[in-house]
Amino acid sequence: MLMRPFLDLQLGERIITLMAALVLVLQIAVVAQRWIITHIRIFAIQSFFLAAIAATIAWFNHAPHIYAAALLTLIVKVILVPIFLERLVVRMEIREEIKPIINVPLSVVIAGGLTLLGYVVAESFYHPDQPGLGHNELAVAISLFLIGFFTMINRRKALTQVLALLSLENGLFLAAISLTYGMPLIVELGILFDVLVAAMVLGILVYRIRETFESMDVSRLRRLRG
Amino acid sequence: MLLIALLLIPVATAVASYFARRRVEMERANLAGFSLVFIVAIALAGQVLASGALSLAKGFFYADALSALVILLTALVALLCATYSIGYLRDDQQSGELGDEEAEQLAQLRMIYTLTPLFVFSMMFVAVANNLGVMWAAIEATTLVSVFMVTFYGKVTSLEAAWKYAIIGGVGLSMALFGTLVAYYAGHGLAGSDALAGLNWSVLAQHAELLDKTSMRLAFVLILMGYGTKAGLAPMHTWKPDAYSEAPVPSAAILSSAMLNCALYGLIRFYILTSRCLGTEYPSRLLLLFGLLSMGISVPFILVQKNLRRLLAYSTIDHGGIMVTALGVGGALGSFGLMLHMTYHTLAKPLIFFCAGSVRQYYKTDLFDEIEGGVLRAMPLTGAVFFIAMLAIVGMPPFSLFQSEFIIVRAALDGGHLLAVALFVFFATGVFAGVVLHVVRMILGRGDERPVAPRRPWRDGSIVALAAALVVIGFWIPAPLLELTHRAAQVVSGR
Repeated sequence: MLMRPFLDLQLGERIITLMAALVLVLQIAVVAQRWIITHIRIFAIQSFFLAAIAATIAWFNHAPHIYAAALLTLIVKVILVPIFLERLVVRMEIREEIKPIINVPLSVVIAGGLTLLGYVVAESFYHPDQPGLGHNELAVAISLFLIGFFTMINRRKALTQVLALLSLENGLFLAAISLTYGMPLIVELGILFDVLVAAMVLGILVYRIRETFESMDVSRLRRLRG
Repeated sequence: MLLIALLLIPVATAVASYFARRRVEMERANLAGFSLVFIVAIALAGQVLASGALSLAKGFFYADALSALVILLTALVALLCATYSIGYLRDDQQSGELGDEEAEQLAQLRMIYTLTPLFVFSMMFVAVANNLGVMWAAIEATTLVSVFMVTFYGKVTSLEAAWKYAIIGGVGLSMALFGTLVAYYAGHGLAGSDALAGLNWSVLAQHAELLDKTSMRLAFVLILMGYGTKAGLAPMHTWKPDAYSEAPVPSAAILSSAMLNCALYGLIRFYILTSRCLGTEYPSRLLLLFGLLSMGISVPFILVQKNLRRLLAYSTIDHGGIMVTALGVGGALGSFGLMLHMTYHTLAKPLIFFCAGSVRQYYKTDLFDEIEGGVLRAMPLTGAVFFIAMLAIVGMPPFSLFQSEFIIVRAALDGGHLLAVALFVFFATGVFAGVVLHVVRMILGRGDERPVAPRRPWRDGSIVALAAALVVIGFWIPAPLLELTHRAAQVVSGR
């Protein structure tokens, strides 16, 4: 034993905070970039960091069941879903870039504001005596959730909305890990299964919308009223 | 055993329909499967009445009176819709709604006959899952399965409706998942973080006073927004008229009754935890707000509505609002009113959807202006039943929904919610006026001189059976069913 467990935990927390920060930066990068294929790759990298955070927690807290959650995340959100979505993009031959409603610089400023809001909300949750990680991770999780919502409103492309929905789920995963070291494994399993199916269902729907409207612009979906 | 059978039979039905080669085999598989499910649901209700809550697999599955009631209603709707579907889909096939080539038609039929049992399976799973996280996954699964029911006819508008349904539902459910997570955090440490029982409702309900109060406040708001979206509460209701008017009528009937019950079931489970942890005042205020808002929003849309099935969708939003209001009123009487209303609504709403479906298939339109009137002359049986169903759905005495609404109003008066009562009565009157205005004109008004519709045994049979049940239950409710609703209400109110 070179290091005492106390230091060990602190090191773990530092690594986790660093990765959580990267996750947040990636989420803001989504707001700033304009290509769908980049968006999918950013989602994959972000999910990879989440899996890494889960694995780190499992390592430093000796909680083997979190490894399973990390592995499942890796398989579903880093490999299966991005591959499926990229194939969809290739098949639909999407070249046009995403046109946001609010321009990019202002969007980034708004995303920054939402991050601040995330920190304020997370503060009210923070009990120094409770188990769980520091409030940094929770703040990042809430910010991911809020920025995901914002992306959903801001971008009108169907596939972008799907990705925003998936990043909401990423925020929840991080919140689960930072609050309670993850949900019970069976729940994690159910959630990831649903994520996988949801990505496919929505993907098929996007494909059919594209075929019918020759566009993925959801603002054209406005026939049903009243 | 019963719980396992309840889940396995729908899956077996789905598999059988998927591999069936001919239409009649799929129809038989669905009919047989849902008959069995209904029998199992009755047996389950009997067992819960006889020996209290059941639990299986170390508490992974759990069924008390509330679950048994929801299961019974789901099974009933599934069976009725399976019967009605046979006539409805055959008609669709003949009139070319499912495509021109036979292989294409068969593929469409296979899809709907496979998805429906899977849909029922996921709703049953919602009712028997003890773990709140697993329950969430099952509710999400109901959305995912039913998306392709909405796109069934493959029209431009069905894609739009399905997109709204999937995305609004997805966002709502991610909020519900957040709420579930926060509730887990609130109970963190009660049963150990990685124990399976950590999110089990039965465990959390026993220790509800010990849950972290601040977290439970947040959890309840998130859950109300989340499952409220799924139940179609205003202002998250916008997907509902679109989805109901685009899906085939039997699927819309399931969506508007059984799936509404399932979404409310999830909300009720969290309401029980929250009210035991924080007292009833906090959740009540929020529930009354959303319930009355939903009732209020449906009034103008019903009054100016041009489309029959959208009218019915707004009526479902109104009834969802009534049930949430009843939950907000709470107490022994309010909870009893809620359970009765859920039961009666689950009989009345499929019936009125079936009538609307028959009208739609004969007139080839849902628009009031194009139907003009004269449904009673052209379709005597459907027209007459439609009239009865309409009176029931707007809560006219002597029909059953009048009784449950009356009980809810009385409970609200007892609880001193005077403003809520005033608004409730005002909105109910508005809905009454709107529905009666449109439907009476359509049924009794002077229409074109079209010939009397031919007999339709499958559709007319299910309509008559359901109408008989609805009328009879208004005067005489079977004692075991009444006992079940009482017990379910006790689960909610804790008394």
